Amino acid sequence: MIEQRHLKGREPITGESISVIKIRDVLLVAMPPDPDDTTITILQEKVLAAIERYQVKGLVLDISAVQTLDSFFARVVAETAQMVVLMGAQTVIAGMQPSVAITATQLGLTLGGALTALNVDLALEIVSDAFQRRQRS
Amino acid sequence: MIDGIREEVAIIDESDIILVRKTVREAATKFNYSLTDVTRIVTAASELARNIFLYAGSGVMRWRLLEGNGAKGMELIFEDRGPGITDLEQAFQEGYSTSGGLGLGLPGTQRLMDEMEIDTRVGVGTTVVVRKWQRRY
Repeated sequence: MIEQRHLKGREPITGESISVIKIRDVLLVAMPPDPDDTTITILQEKVLAAIERYQVKGLVLDISAVQTLDSFFARVVAETAQMVVLMGAQTVIAGMQPSVAITATQLGLTLGGALTALNVDLALEIVSDAFQRRQRS
Repeated sequence: MIDGIREEVAIIDESDIILVRKTVREAATKFNYSLTDVTRIVTAASELARNIFLYAGSGVMRWRLLEGNGAKGMELIFEDRGPGITDLEQAFQEGYSTSGGLGLGLPGTQRLMDEMEIDTRVGVGTTVVVRKWQRRY
């Protein structure tokens, strides 16, 4: 017996599952475990708007819950990091699971040279270090 | 008709990519793949489902279990009646994309899985079959 699955008339997930929190001078964004393409695209716009509104110096993208990082998701993350740098802030991607890191590497993903950290705590440190360095130079 | 199909998911709109991932994750987890292998299989499925959505518009994903020669595995079949792939060699080139993507889809997916077969006919459609065998520890 073949089970057929198709969600008909389902409510689309439109960015509601993403939390964007401002902590001091940093925007902390927690990605849901399995975001769809629409959610990821909305996230990019939401994050850039929030960076302008709150005038933060950094963005920490917490992906510790993320189970699947495919090429589309990685491209949007890399692009967002680049856009944030253009706006004058810093992006740190935090908390990638080991299984996701292995898969991403085999798939050939690079995240476009964005900064990464083991967890959110270390990511916050990187943002503040990077900002201090930039102020001095 | 292929024997032993357990489930099939129609890929009609973007949210069906999530449904493919969810279905494959549940199945691979149930059949005791390691977390890293589950992540590899789900990520490969995500790439192939997105290819169908992007290039063919719609299609179907089916999966079944394989058993033979003392080995067990999982097979995913992605079938569409899209335009077909004109230049298969080019489609397998790293960084080649006609959709503005990263061009990692096919070569990346091949690295994540143990086996991959593509049957494509221009104007008729494309069938991609991928397999992952169970590691014995």
